Amino acid sequence: MSVDVTSVDRDTLLRPIETLSRRYVAALAVALGLIGVWLAFYVQQLQHGLVVTNLSDWGSGGGVPWGLYIGAFIWWVGIAHGGIILSAAVRLLGMDTYQPVARLAELLTIAALSCAGLFILIHVGRPDRLVTSVLPAWPTCVQWSPLMWDVTVITAYFVLTATYLLLTIRYDVSRLRDRLPPRLEPLYRALLVGYSETEDAVVERMVWWLAFAIIIMAPLLLHGGVIPWLFALLPSMAGWHGGVQGPSFLSIALTSAVSGIVIVSAAFRYAYDWEALIPDAVFRGLGQWLGFFGLIFLWLQLQQVITGIFAAPTTLQHATEVKISTPLYWVAIGLVAAAMLYVFASSLRPTLFSIPALVVASVGVLVGTLVEKVLFVVEGLQHAHFDLYNGVPGAYTPSAVELSALAGTVGIVALFFLVVSKVIPVVELHAIEDYEEVDT
Amino acid sequence: MSTDDDSLYTSPDDEERHRRLLDETEYDTELGLEMARDAQRVSAGELSEVEFYRRYHERIVEEFDIDDREIDLPDPDEAEGSGEGFLDDLGSVLADVDPETDESRRSVMQKGAAVAGGLAVGGWGTVQNAAGQDGGGGADAPGDDEEGTRWGMTINLNNCDGCLACMVACDQEHNLSRGAHWMYVFAYEDEGQADENFLPRTCQHCTDSPCTKVCPVGARHTRTEDGLVLTDYDICIGCRYCEVSCPYGVNYFQWGEPDVPESEIDEDTQYDDRGRWVGNRPPEGVMGKCTFCVDRQDGAMGEDLVGTTACEEACAMDAIHFGDLNDPESAPNRHLREYREAQPNDTSEFPDRKEHTVSTFELLAERGTEPNVTFVGNEPSPHAEQVEGPVTYEEMGLVDDRKEVLDDGATATQGGESA
Repeated sequence: MSVDVTSVDRDTLLRPIETLSRRYVAALAVALGLIGVWLAFYVQQLQHGLVVTNLSDWGSGGGVPWGLYIGAFIWWVGIAHGGIILSAAVRLLGMDTYQPVARLAELLTIAALSCAGLFILIHVGRPDRLVTSVLPAWPTCVQWSPLMWDVTVITAYFVLTATYLLLTIRYDVSRLRDRLPPRLEPLYRALLVGYSETEDAVVERMVWWLAFAIIIMAPLLLHGGVIPWLFALLPSMAGWHGGVQGPSFLSIALTSAVSGIVIVSAAFRYAYDWEALIPDAVFRGLGQWLGFFGLIFLWLQLQQVITGIFAAPTTLQHATEVKISTPLYWVAIGLVAAAMLYVFASSLRPTLFSIPALVVASVGVLVGTLVEKVLFVVEGLQHAHFDLYNGVPGAYTPSAVELSALAGTVGIVALFFLVVSKVIPVVELHAIEDYEEVDT
Repeated sequence: MSTDDDSLYTSPDDEERHRRLLDETEYDTELGLEMARDAQRVSAGELSEVEFYRRYHERIVEEFDIDDREIDLPDPDEAEGSGEGFLDDLGSVLADVDPETDESRRSVMQKGAAVAGGLAVGGWGTVQNAAGQDGGGGADAPGDDEEGTRWGMTINLNNCDGCLACMVACDQEHNLSRGAHWMYVFAYEDEGQADENFLPRTCQHCTDSPCTKVCPVGARHTRTEDGLVLTDYDICIGCRYCEVSCPYGVNYFQWGEPDVPESEIDEDTQYDDRGRWVGNRPPEGVMGKCTFCVDRQDGAMGEDLVGTTACEEACAMDAIHFGDLNDPESAPNRHLREYREAQPNDTSEFPDRKEHTVSTFELLAERGTEPNVTFVGNEPSPHAEQVEGPVTYEEMGLVDDRKEVLDDGATATQGGESA
């Protein structure tokens, strides 16, 4: 199902860089506003400590020590899997249909991973020590601390994706340089250090291998590995243990990631009239992926619920019973199920398909996966094997400080796209021109 | 971790490789393998060089006609536990074998190579131990070996009357903020157990502690010299992974400014004998928990208080017994022994019965943490429920649910809140 967009000209591709609309300024203001609100709250946290959150100690402390910050951290890492899905599809499987949104997905990966890192920063009690404590400890602690595994794999994923992005950007920038804003010339010069057209073929092979490395590492080691292992390996909490967490986390990551790409792609298509550049076929395809990943997500939830309530050990049974009697959990499941049903229905009856509806479904999925992840963390902590404490299960609702961080990171991702789209082409030149065309 | 001698540092593959290597020589293969194993022990500090020398001297002379391993026999203290010294010695063994008998020299060198190969593996073990000492790492904490000190407790639930004096004493001595209870006493009701039961809960100072394993920066660590599980307040980043991984819920994070300011705390109680800040209450943003009164154990409060804890001292019911579990005459071991002796079993009719009728347990032993606290009494069942005890937390001026304190802090907009 390859769609030819090679009729699109360079003017269309460069529209975000060469125009400045009132809507753009408004979007910029909203993004900065969200970040500002978060910063105002975060200053409070820096002043008074984590006491401004609604977290507490589990056990006699009557609360949970991990909450929205960790849930949001997992969520952003999940969304960051968009880059790998798209680069794998385009580079490894030759699905050229998705080429127009591949770079958007890679940019989303960079932005989402940054937000995940930010949540670690604001989660810890002593952010000032992140460098001084973590770096010296790395060689020894990476041998056994799952949290250090996370830091390591996320850093590796970030570096690989950034390299991938940088290598492919050089190609575009060198060919479009005369049409890029002159005031950013020093930046482009830096990006193109040592560039010559003879490197194109080599880079082409390099990015293939990078995509290959990332597709092995990111799903299997990141959201299918070290992130669920943060929880699944512990001897303390009944609801976290078990081998199903890896596949389950991965399904959530892929579902969230596709939703993220749908939303970002639709936003650019809408803002810059890119109907020809990002055709309907891209969204139909992404929608089907969303439906498929959503199905896997629901199936793995079913696995956990069934094994958790049918003759499970006491504490796991208790944790599962509480989970399925929590209305919010069913909201999360319902949102993913609704998106899946819509996508499958519109496959059967194409007239049902519309991009705004798919965007709504995607937003619903992202809300659902965030809720599921926060519940996983919080409810997991509320049902320890050792539940003699009156304070177990504890109580937790995120405070304004914590919620503001969520808004802040959404603002950061929006700001990132708004800025980057003014500097480099967010759609690869390859999407509209074959190599030969470009070179001649 | 297995302490099975043969499998400790050498995998079966390594052993097989060494065996083949040694078989090619004309000398005793078994002797070579045994020496390689023990050489690893020397390298790991488990076996002294002197003992290593003595153990093989006769057989080496018998086999090679010469034992040129250089060692200072008269001063065993100097020679003990130095892996590097042994490596040097190995070098001299290889260098000093009688040059006239070339063949013998070559054979000894082959044997030496096998031993050195073993040592390389053993050396890895040593590095692991060093990492465990400084950086955390669960599996190589001082285990149940009978050498050195291993602080622990025997808590006799049959004696506890739930007076909460231990909680108050602990909170005060360590200047804990309201709601943080390094010592916490449960009153609970349980199926099949009459009346109220009490369970004082400290940190279990597990030998295989999950919290030290998961700590990303090695702040939570096991002190090699005595098995105490401590938090280095200078390194901790406050991620709270230790708290999440602990099955017992003994960790209390310093969410806000501590109730007791730094200026009111005696520095001697903060820094242990290694100069690390592990004692007394934590500063803001890092994790705290029961330290088994590390300051007392290091003599900071006087020699008399070494081997005691604040909670033990406050207990008027003889329920808490703290001491060195490796010392048969320590308080926890003696109490357990005497308590058992006082309740002998009737073995006249059934001689296979155990000698006493005392029930003991470790909390959540099935979690594999190897706690260093043993309880005398009946383990609470999964159906046990915490109830209000004869003395309430409020009566003792304690806050049970810390969240109440923290929620005040969360809603305060100005400074002055504490947690």
